[in-house]
Amino acid sequence: MTDDKIEFRDVTRIERIGAHSHIRGLGLDDVLEARAVSQGMVGQKDARRAAGIVVQIVREGKMAGRCILIAGEPSTGKTAIAVGMAQALGSESPFTSMSGSEIYSLEMSKTEALCQALRKSIGVRIKEETEIIEGEVVEIQIDRPATGTGQKVGKVTLKTTDMETSYDLGNKIIECFMKEKIQAGDIITIDKASGKVSKLGRSFTRARDYDATGAQTRFVQCPEGELQKRKEVVHTVTLHEIDVINSRTHGFLALFSGDTGEIKQEVRDQINNKVMEWREEGKAEINPGVLFIDEVHMLDIECFSYLNRALESDMAPVVVMATNRGITRIRGTNFRSPHGIPIDLLDRMIIIRTIPYVEKEIKEILKIRCEEEDCNMHTDALTILTKIAHDTSLRYAIQLISTGNLISKRRKATEVLVEDIKKVYSLFLDENRSSQILKEHQDEYMFNEIEGVDSGAGGDSGSIMPKQEAMEIS
Amino acid sequence: MSYENWINLIKSAEKASFLSGKNRKIHYKFPNSDEMAEEYSMETGVIQRRAWKKRKQLMGDASWELELGEPIPDQDPRNQTGEELIKESNSQPSIIKRLTRKNIEWRIRNLPYPIDNYSVTADVEKKALVVRTVNKKYYKVIEIPELIRCGLAPEQSLISLHHQYNTLIITYKKPELLVEMEVETLKILKTVETETNMDDLLQGLLGK
Repeated sequence: MTDDKIEFRDVTRIERIGAHSHIRGLGLDDVLEARAVSQGMVGQKDARRAAGIVVQIVREGKMAGRCILIAGEPSTGKTAIAVGMAQALGSESPFTSMSGSEIYSLEMSKTEALCQALRKSIGVRIKEETEIIEGEVVEIQIDRPATGTGQKVGKVTLKTTDMETSYDLGNKIIECFMKEKIQAGDIITIDKASGKVSKLGRSFTRARDYDATGAQTRFVQCPEGELQKRKEVVHTVTLHEIDVINSRTHGFLALFSGDTGEIKQEVRDQINNKVMEWREEGKAEINPGVLFIDEVHMLDIECFSYLNRALESDMAPVVVMATNRGITRIRGTNFRSPHGIPIDLLDRMIIIRTIPYVEKEIKEILKIRCEEEDCNMHTDALTILTKIAHDTSLRYAIQLISTGNLISKRRKATEVLVEDIKKVYSLFLDENRSSQILKEHQDEYMFNEIEGVDSGAGGDSGSIMPKQEAMEIS
Repeated sequence: MSYENWINLIKSAEKASFLSGKNRKIHYKFPNSDEMAEEYSMETGVIQRRAWKKRKQLMGDASWELELGEPIPDQDPRNQTGEELIKESNSQPSIIKRLTRKNIEWRIRNLPYPIDNYSVTADVEKKALVVRTVNKKYYKVIEIPELIRCGLAPEQSLISLHHQYNTLIITYKKPELLVEMEVETLKILKTVETETNMDDLLQGLLGK
């Protein structure tokens, strides 16, 4: 029993790393009104309502090339809203999330990276007929050569309610059978072309073979009719995947290695035409998704002008951007502009604003995070923590949850108390206190004599950059 | 109740034809880029093989699928590496379709059970023949594309059964409309120019 429990915990831990892992959706009701606290979302009602309308646009799939900007102060839930949108869209619509700085790579050009991200966000649903074998396993026999090496020989007998046939198994498919742990009495399907074996469940007639079965065991009826059937299956792929498969220099193996390099524009044009053709014939459906670019002020002027053009195409996804900058310099130029985005692109966007959380909302968020991190917090401690979050930042307060939890565990307590929070508050500094200390003790740190160089650049956060740019220009 | 569509399809195809041994082979390329190949016997004028290559939508090349006639054994050594994923064991029943002048014939080999084990019914809804066995060892839905092409439903009265040498033979008498369609098709094929096989020509010259 104890072993089981530990294993279970290990599995859930993996899912909990993210800062936004508690978000399950946008928390809207049927008429797209925002509920106060729902699906991990708190407050930001207007922004959430607006995001809900965007989700609706994407679901209907009619709009192409829309652009939405989520703007707001740091830690006001911009990324949370984007994650919520992704969750609300479900796994059917592609949702690509990237950060503005991701496009700066030595392997490919900026525009190529953007183009790939755009195409990753467009899904294509293609219907295709494939041949499958579906039946109940009567007997399975896999022989290994006595020497231990060499080819294995396999045989499987399958049946339906009407017939029975035995098949010879190739080497690759034997592996699949062993991996799936197929045994007599299982109902399986085999995709004839790809050799993929999947277990549907166990036959009803074998329900009494064992006294105890696992909770996950599903019992299914033995199929009828012929063993080999033609079945229509639906593949959902993204345009980017089709690009990679069809770019001759790499082949589909590049999909797994991730090393795709640049894809020629001709290949993309051909694929666009082909997909359009399929769509007209009713064989494929285009499923435009969402591209989310976080920290969009990190893009430079080339990317913005590329986006301007890319959004005009009828294959463009809905692009959602997020930024926490006010009026700042557009990267790659000396001009300043709202959000660091050129005015002509801003003009194409609809802007959703997030507002700072009030104390009550902060408390709710902290409560949700406590639950998410399996942390039992005393109400007084939560109030203190809320106060801390209000005075410093929400992110800092969330950091204190897990650290406080550890401290309380060390003294074998089940609940995090005020003194635990006090202790971690004194152990770990927040940004304000840290910079305060720096100011007071500046003389004792290294290299403090070099100063006054960047003090002239002003309060801009990217204050080192202008100098470099100025050098390039001159 | 007519075969107009089929005739139009044949007419619309790009056709190429040549002689090989005692057979005339014809290749069709249809406007939707499907392909079909046929093999007619020069002695009887009866079609011996027909195969389709239907184009696939996504990834991968299409392969030929036999509609009727005996499969050609694959002699390419590259394909005989034993790397097939899964295939029916060779002791299992296998079905072959053949056309004669008056009948459509299916032979199902490796069926050792006596004749009263089998029942073949014409299923009008599925537009197919259904082979069943009393001992639940074999079941097969046999589609008859020829009948679909002339818009006919299968009829029970045209079916007859034989069983000998472990083989079940199902014979279906061709309806008149189907015979007519075949004649019309052959008339179209007459107009297709036939290339002569160089080997035959050379052999003829050497013989003189």
